Amino acid sequence: MSAEAAEEPGEAVTTRGTIGVELGRRPLFYAVLAPFWAWLLVRWAYDWVVEPGTNVTAREPFFPTEPFVAAGETLRGVAAGAPAPVGGVLDWLAGGFDFVAFGLEALPQLAAGAWVTVVLTVVSILAGLVLAVPLSVARVYGTRAVRYPALAVTELVRGTPLLAQLFVLYFGLGLTKYVREVPGVGVGVLPDTAVVVGLIGFTVNSAAYQSEYIRSALLSVESGQLTAGRAIGLSKVAAIRHVVLPQGLRFAIPGWSNELIYLIKYSSLASFITVRELFFRAEAIGNETYLFVEVYSVAALFYLALVVSASAFMSYVESRVAIPGLGTTGR
Amino acid sequence: MSAALAPDVVLSAVVGGVDTGVVLQASDWEFVYRNRRFLLLGAGVTVALTLTSVVLGLLAGLPAGIVEVYGTGPVAGAVRRTGVLLRGTPILVILAFTFFVNPVNLGAFEAATLGLGLRSAAYQSQIFRGAIQSVGGGQMEAARSVGMSQYEAIRHVVVPQALRRSIPGFQNEFTIVLKDTSVAFFIGLAELITRGFNLFTQPGQSESVLEVILAVSAVYFVLTVLTNQGLELLGRRFAIPGTGGER
Amino acid sequence: MSLLEFEDVHQSYGDEEVLRGISFGMDRSDVEVVIGPSGSGKSTMLRCVNRLTDIDSGTIYLDGEPVTTPETDVNDLRRRVGMVFQDFNLFAHRTALGNVTLGLREVLDYSKEEARAEATSQLERVGLADQADSYPAELSGGQKQRVGIARALAMDPELMLFDEPTSALDPELIGEVLRVMRDLAEEGMTMLCVTHEMGFARSAASTISFLDEGRVVERGPPEQLFEAPEHERTGEFLERLTSLHGGQQG
Repeated sequence: MSAEAAEEPGEAVTTRGTIGVELGRRPLFYAVLAPFWAWLLVRWAYDWVVEPGTNVTAREPFFPTEPFVAAGETLRGVAAGAPAPVGGVLDWLAGGFDFVAFGLEALPQLAAGAWVTVVLTVVSILAGLVLAVPLSVARVYGTRAVRYPALAVTELVRGTPLLAQLFVLYFGLGLTKYVREVPGVGVGVLPDTAVVVGLIGFTVNSAAYQSEYIRSALLSVESGQLTAGRAIGLSKVAAIRHVVLPQGLRFAIPGWSNELIYLIKYSSLASFITVRELFFRAEAIGNETYLFVEVYSVAALFYLALVVSASAFMSYVESRVAIPGLGTTGR
Repeated sequence: MSAALAPDVVLSAVVGGVDTGVVLQASDWEFVYRNRRFLLLGAGVTVALTLTSVVLGLLAGLPAGIVEVYGTGPVAGAVRRTGVLLRGTPILVILAFTFFVNPVNLGAFEAATLGLGLRSAAYQSQIFRGAIQSVGGGQMEAARSVGMSQYEAIRHVVVPQALRRSIPGFQNEFTIVLKDTSVAFFIGLAELITRGFNLFTQPGQSESVLEVILAVSAVYFVLTVLTNQGLELLGRRFAIPGTGGER
Repeated sequence: MSLLEFEDVHQSYGDEEVLRGISFGMDRSDVEVVIGPSGSGKSTMLRCVNRLTDIDSGTIYLDGEPVTTPETDVNDLRRRVGMVFQDFNLFAHRTALGNVTLGLREVLDYSKEEARAEATSQLERVGLADQADSYPAELSGGQKQRVGIARALAMDPELMLFDEPTSALDPELIGEVLRVMRDLAEEGMTMLCVTHEMGFARSAASTISFLDEGRVVERGPPEQLFEAPEHERTGEFLERLTSLHGGQQG
């Protein structure tokens, strides 16, 4: 709850909420996450390097599904002859094997979708940061002429749904027809047209929210710090750059964890503008097989794995850049 | 037409039709104006869905927050794990479960309320948890030392203070739910953005796409601002001097 | 010619006039101690010198040049005038050494190695070479203030401003800071100090100014103010201060 606790009284900073997972003392998480990432990285490498030509839906899983299908059938056969309570349990177990077999079948497509999800998330948060720093500095230290436009942009973005913003870019402005002309789009593993439009949308959206995190972080840097910087002869820009930002950006790290998690989850909205990310792939499999429970469960596990990984990664970053007396513990 | 069933068909139809739609035109604004009742009804659904979801979130989230702070054993563990699950999954996936997967066949509005409400409960529990923890152990000790039971102390001393402290977080959560009602587009609920989508996907209306979406966005913006202002008033109304609630 | 000269300086915050016509001059190697009740304008007077606060009228000269004109390069002025703050204001994200090197690197364009060498010698000067890699949060108040002094000294200032450098310190830590200030005074640094340390004022100051309600009420060498003040208020105030802050021998 560091984000809430850090708020000054009377400062209603819009946060997007942490998931509240605390890592570090949980070997089980790593026991699950490490193989997940190992598999995912190998899968991506294999699909691009070894078999780049294969259509996503035609990709074969690494793990054989037959043993699970066979085990399920055997169990069901046994269950038919067993007395009622035992038979029920066996049937349930057989369902478990079916689920694993189906999940394995779906993995290659979901891996392809997860790649797009990761690209959307990582690129948007970084590009959003590049825009957010000047936006927030403008709002805290800028003159009226830059403060109000910066305020207007952030408020407009934060006051409307992300989905509406994606619709404006994709349907309203028809950005696809401009993006299509850009050389390199959609070549090889580079993002295709729809992904680029999604990236633009998420970047703008994230920039607005990040600027809000950074703004409140900058305000929480004591004013004496800027004064001391000016007192040794630094210009205002240099003092902000060398004294205020290094501290403020550290204060903003809990906000970024929220933002990263938010982007992972909300990148799923890109499926509405035909971006073939994780949710899009899951939905497509569901529409084809009608196994909605199974495919959405697997998709949910994928998202959880990504979110928990992001959370762990950000804790690591926070501990790496921690300075005694600065940051969440210091407040 | 349900957007969920054939998104590709709908999308390609729309995108194919967009050629010069970028230019804002008076006739297109007229089209929006002609359909104002249709859109405003959607705004009504959006507001209703926001309210039902936030209330469900409050009813489930407040007890969950209390359990997270004071609870022990398997119940508290289950509450925490459910919270992580709901906070770690996209709202789109949650809605897929409450609408498509749910064995009880719910209507779109009920399914959306359930999904948005449970997800909001998971976040509200964290807001209340943080607020309760910020009230501090001293208040609990003081209450216990005048002879209150733990339940009475929570009920009469901790929660009243925590509720006031959670108003900024609650305000934030309220607007998040408001904006996320748009995701109910996925299950075809006729709220604001779905109606906008249905308008500009009508045959021959592809030129008015930008006008329709901007109008829809403007309504969302007004609703967010009104919500923020309203809750800010509420915060001032219940402020207690010296407890950080006053502005 | 005076190194620092105030000429009828007025300054106000809103309706409240804080400085009501301050005029005085101090020569190179002078140590001027400014005393006065809270709200008398002592800190404001200091902050006007390096333009952290801008004045309304009058002129301040540094080394004969007016520094309160719009043409003045404030960053260069601040380089020439070091300042030590009451609550230290150490850069919280940089080590003791990093606090000293920042100005050397960014303002004086030293190379990394030069900045490091210079900063190390400045830390040695205040007796903190062994704490070079500590972060502010890991230092005691007295150590923080000595880093603050080293940070200001590193810019090779012509004049040092001390704004109540010991009033945020626990009593047992005041001595180490006063010792550094006393050494500086003996080395011939020009110092303008707002402080209530009467022991320091009595032994190190060349002149003491008593400020009240934005005016210099009385100014003179320490012996004169302590033994034979012209104004009754000066005597009363000094008596009160001495009973509160006179015990510390730095």
